[in-house]
Amino acid sequence: MPREPNAIDFWRGIALITIFINHVPGIYYARFTHANYSFSDSADLFVFLAGWSLRYVVGSPGRPQQPTGYLVLRLGGRAIELYAAQILITMIAIAMLAATASILDNPLLLEWHNAAAVFYDPILTHIGLATLTHHLGYFDILPLYVVLMAMAPVFAVVDRYAPNWVLPISLAIYLVTLSVPVPMPTWPVEGQWFFNPLAWQLVFVLGFVMAREDGAGGFVRRHIVALRWLSLPIVAASAYLVWHRMWPDPTLMPRPRLLFIVDKTYVTPLRLLQFLAVVALFSATYPYIKRWALRLVEFGSMLGRNSLVVFCVGSLLSLAGQITRFVYRGDIVVDTIVVISGIAIMAFVAWLPEWREQVRLKRSARPSPAS
Amino acid sequence: MARTGQVKKVGAAVAGVLTLSVIAGGVFGEGTSPAAPAAPMPPVVAPAPLSPECQGGSTDIVTESPLPHVAAALAKRRTVRILAIGNSAVGRRHGGYTKQIERVLKQVVKGANVVIINRGVSGELAANAALRIKNEVAMTSPDLVIWQVGTDDAFAFVPLDEVRETVESTIRWLKEHNVDVVLAGLQYVDRVAQDDNYYRMRMLLRDVAAKENVMIIRRYEAMQFIAAAQEAGGGFGPDEFERTEAGYNCLAQYLASAITVGAFGKGMSGRPLRGKGQPPAPPPQGP
Repeated sequence: MPREPNAIDFWRGIALITIFINHVPGIYYARFTHANYSFSDSADLFVFLAGWSLRYVVGSPGRPQQPTGYLVLRLGGRAIELYAAQILITMIAIAMLAATASILDNPLLLEWHNAAAVFYDPILTHIGLATLTHHLGYFDILPLYVVLMAMAPVFAVVDRYAPNWVLPISLAIYLVTLSVPVPMPTWPVEGQWFFNPLAWQLVFVLGFVMAREDGAGGFVRRHIVALRWLSLPIVAASAYLVWHRMWPDPTLMPRPRLLFIVDKTYVTPLRLLQFLAVVALFSATYPYIKRWALRLVEFGSMLGRNSLVVFCVGSLLSLAGQITRFVYRGDIVVDTIVVISGIAIMAFVAWLPEWREQVRLKRSARPSPAS
Repeated sequence: MARTGQVKKVGAAVAGVLTLSVIAGGVFGEGTSPAAPAAPMPPVVAPAPLSPECQGGSTDIVTESPLPHVAAALAKRRTVRILAIGNSAVGRRHGGYTKQIERVLKQVVKGANVVIINRGVSGELAANAALRIKNEVAMTSPDLVIWQVGTDDAFAFVPLDEVRETVESTIRWLKEHNVDVVLAGLQYVDRVAQDDNYYRMRMLLRDVAAKENVMIIRRYEAMQFIAAAQEAGGGFGPDEFERTEAGYNCLAQYLASAITVGAFGKGMSGRPLRGKGQPPAPPPQGP
């Protein structure tokens, strides 16, 4: 039976829906996602909750659920699974762009989303695709997730033998990455990863350590009320600044500048702080949402429980939505159809494996009287 | 030259800055080496030449306006730092169009150090690019920003007023922060030639460039010329997809040309590098 609806799965489901909408640039409904009122967006939430979920696999320090060797292999296997997913959806996305360009006889579409290199410089770019150094636009979160999951065995082992060192190690990597700074280069197209994994690993690890009942997680749980009061002005002020586009001039910031500016690639401290404030504040709403909108919680949790397949299909649906908007000249009717059909398909692909599992369980239960 | 004949067939006149470089055509053909100076004179600045397929139509492909900060960097023999923002910097040859710019500039401005910082995020709307540009300027201190803008916003049907406001305010911000700007305009393909939203976006960018007195590379006109030449029977490539590739090659050349003209003016005396009293550049030798 699938897991009962819970806060982590629910918020993960919400993150998946908002990532889907935000990845259709220009769509009317993007204005309702929190990215428009916040330094951080659903990408931060997705990575944080991925780290939180890692805790369920690793177990609490001192109470290991499985042998360390098995754990390392399991996490490594998950990294390979994510890698395979990234290659699969990238290949489908390339085919979607190629098909659209061919049908519409419009080569500009081949240049959409960094696909130009695939078509115009295929020899090197195919190496880049396989080695995750070339990403299509909006298909750049999974490469980050692959690297984070490849790093996860290290964090899991440290957590098992020196649990209080996980966060300091992660923080040190983060600070060095931002201070130097250490870019994550793309190839063959010169540039940087949109999400620098050496910086973003801190968001992942924060989720991992906050999920602990003791340590940092215990501290947060004990002081959550005070933290929420602290968070309120941070969330309100950042919403005001973002809504009125009152970003501080980054050239006036002291060096090393990445420690003081608001930047997504390096998930800079201001962004990270604001994100943690959002989490602290909005986590308070879950019991009320559950009480007043149980169906919504069940729906979001169903998406969250099947996050990889929903994310993959959602990424392709975002691209399909962009193509649809391009062809039918996006207006609110088209946008509404894109959003409703997209969420419906995401729900279907989340429901399908759970339904199959239930059918399988029923079948395996049926022959028991004969045995 | 056969290609010159095609140019005449479509009745296009080569004008403005491009005239300077007609004679130097062929320099950028794949596999040909740059024309060496005829006389053993000190190296001087010559305009970045254009290969034949890039010697565009009846209008100026590059609007001229000064690039004072690039000129200052060259005069002080400081490394010229160029930040490239926009669509992915790709091309079939030599690692993409920004690599070509770097190479052309180093050929044309002898002794110049050029660093190109590629920060393209494909699919990104102007509003997001604007935020990123400011951060990248704070991080990398460029002398020049090359901004390919408009295509993704046109595809996403972002309201044109919003795009105008974003591009204008970003250009003004860059000027206030002593950074020169070159806009790379929209591309031409047959399919979008009649699209009114695309047309309005193209006009908008041209307006903004004129109003803010910044350079814009009119890629649309350049590629339209390539298309016309192609249809006239000569053909620079088998189809529209090839034309896009040619468009990128030309973009690199237009940008290099724009940068040299913007930094030194049409006279190209080389004074910013060599000081007064140097002889003017000899006319480039044709093939």
